[in-house]
Amino acid sequence: MAHIWPIGGGKGGSGKSFITSSLGRLSAGLGRRTLVIDLDLGAANLHTLVGVPYPSKSFSDFLQKKVTRLDDTVVETPFENLFLISGAQDPFDIANLPYEQKIKALRAIMRLDYACILLDLGAGTSFNTLDFFLLSQNGIFITTPEPTSIENVYRLIRSVYFRRIRYCFSVSQFKALEEEAIEQFGEGAFNKPECMMKVIERDHPESYRELQNDFNAFRFRLVINQLHKRDNAVLGLHICRIIEKHMGLGIEFTGNVSYDDHVHDAICQQVSFLDRYPYTKTAGELRAVGRQIFQPAGRQLMLQYV
Amino acid sequence: MRKSFAELNYYEMLDIRPDAAAFEIRQAYDAALQIYQPGSLVSHSFFTDAERREILSLVEKAYRTLIQDQLRKAYDDELVRRGELDAVRETAPAVKKPVGIFSISRGRGRQPAGPNPESLKNRILQSARIRELTGRPALSGEDLKQIREELDVTLEEISQATKIRQDHLINIEEDCFARLPAAVFLKGFVKSYLKYLCLKPAEELAARYMETFARLSQSQRAEENK
Ligand SMILES: Nc1ncnc2c1ncn2[C@@H]1O[C@H](COP(=O)(O)OP(=O)(O)O)[C@@H](O)[C@H]1O
Ligand SMILES: [Mg+2]
Repeated sequence: MAHIWPIGGGKGGSGKSFITSSLGRLSAGLGRRTLVIDLDLGAANLHTLVGVPYPSKSFSDFLQKKVTRLDDTVVETPFENLFLISGAQDPFDIANLPYEQKIKALRAIMRLDYACILLDLGAGTSFNTLDFFLLSQNGIFITTPEPTSIENVYRLIRSVYFRRIRYCFSVSQFKALEEEAIEQFGEGAFNKPECMMKVIERDHPESYRELQNDFNAFRFRLVINQLHKRDNAVLGLHICRIIEKHMGLGIEFTGNVSYDDHVHDAICQQVSFLDRYPYTKTAGELRAVGRQIFQPAGRQLMLQYV
Repeated sequence: MRKSFAELNYYEMLDIRPDAAAFEIRQAYDAALQIYQPGSLVSHSFFTDAERREILSLVEKAYRTLIQDQLRKAYDDELVRRGELDAVRETAPAVKKPVGIFSISRGRGRQPAGPNPESLKNRILQSARIRELTGRPALSGEDLKQIREELDVTLEEISQATKIRQDHLINIEEDCFARLPAAVFLKGFVKSYLKYLCLKPAEELAARYMETFARLSQSQRAEENK
């Protein structure tokens, strides 16, 4: 089964698509059949970053039943072993995908036959985005060292956490849990999954164990992108520390990727940054992030929700 | 459920080992302030004002207790009674290098298998890039980072093996001079780092790093004062 890496977080422009395309190139460079999927349907641009300015097919061909297999929407890129499902010109916003369609898409992604699949999920926190995020336990969060972007990452992580809890309960049960958490921990608890977990521990020990097992298996990662020389280099480490300490979720700081004007240059010239500027600090850091992510290709347990 | 912050013991709150020396406690306290202070980028939007106040007062209490030998001793005894510490410290807190006399019982260890020194030595011999970087008269943190990345070793690994906190290692590699520990510690850290990577001669390279560090940090300060 393919190793799936959902990538999200930050705000628009933090570099999710840039990092996704770079990681895609690095994985393909290891000789692995790699597929990048653009699920940031409202703001799709991954195709341009992997050298396919005018993709002939896209994700919505599958949703609109123009093709029957998701595999038929895959296009080649100029890079060996790297393939793309584009989100270009999609009339859909993933947030509005009807339930049936979403399940169909999730299942189809899990059945794709690639060694590595990277999902560019964009910045949203709609339920649908969260469900794609929960396709695997290996979510990668990208943020820049700005408060607005960091705030969005925290919001996304909490939403993913709540979404996973939600799978265990019915709508009315979940509502009751929310009310109970607020009752017990005050108004501030409404956006705190860790408070809800305390309630679940007491009232639903069985589900609590299931969730706890699952959360222990998560291996989230954080990448700080566009770090400037003046920024605090240990920001990412500290972010991971408060997520672990105060949310009880394991998350690993995977590295900083420095800001470099050459990124902009490469994108404007429509060439691969890693190929064009391989000796920059930023390229070295991207390779280091890639190694950390792809190297210990440990076993991945798929979550069979769908 | 993992414990909430208020339920952690003081060592866990500050993220230090129970045998931490005084300077490590001070540094951990500074790091905690950096994380939890109002206006901190790290915890932006993460806590309500009330939560932040509570955490800061706990951090303060943890620091005040651990930094005073008498209070710390009493607190350690209490932890041993609660079964949270494995053994009793027999010597006063180490002044220089901390030794692992006891550890928190519920430590969750994800110990990576370290690199094989033989394969590291081989890679060092074969890498023209490393030869170039170690052959220059100067050696900066950024050079160290390049060497480490060339050797495919992660910072996490070095941190676990050398017990040097990862934030120090990052600041060393990023040449963030203002955030680095005092020179005596810094040199020791860099030497351990070099040794872990099997780079020789560690003593000489560490000295070269310190010279480079002195020069670069001075010119950086001059720049800032302009
Ligand atoms: N490390 C970096 N250094 C400099 N510029 C960057 C870096 N990463 C991303 N960028 C810039 O940010 C822009 C937005 O990146 P993109 O990947 O499209 O963001 P997102 O997908 O998160 O909206 C890019 O066009 C690029 O110019
Ligand atoms: Mg994008």
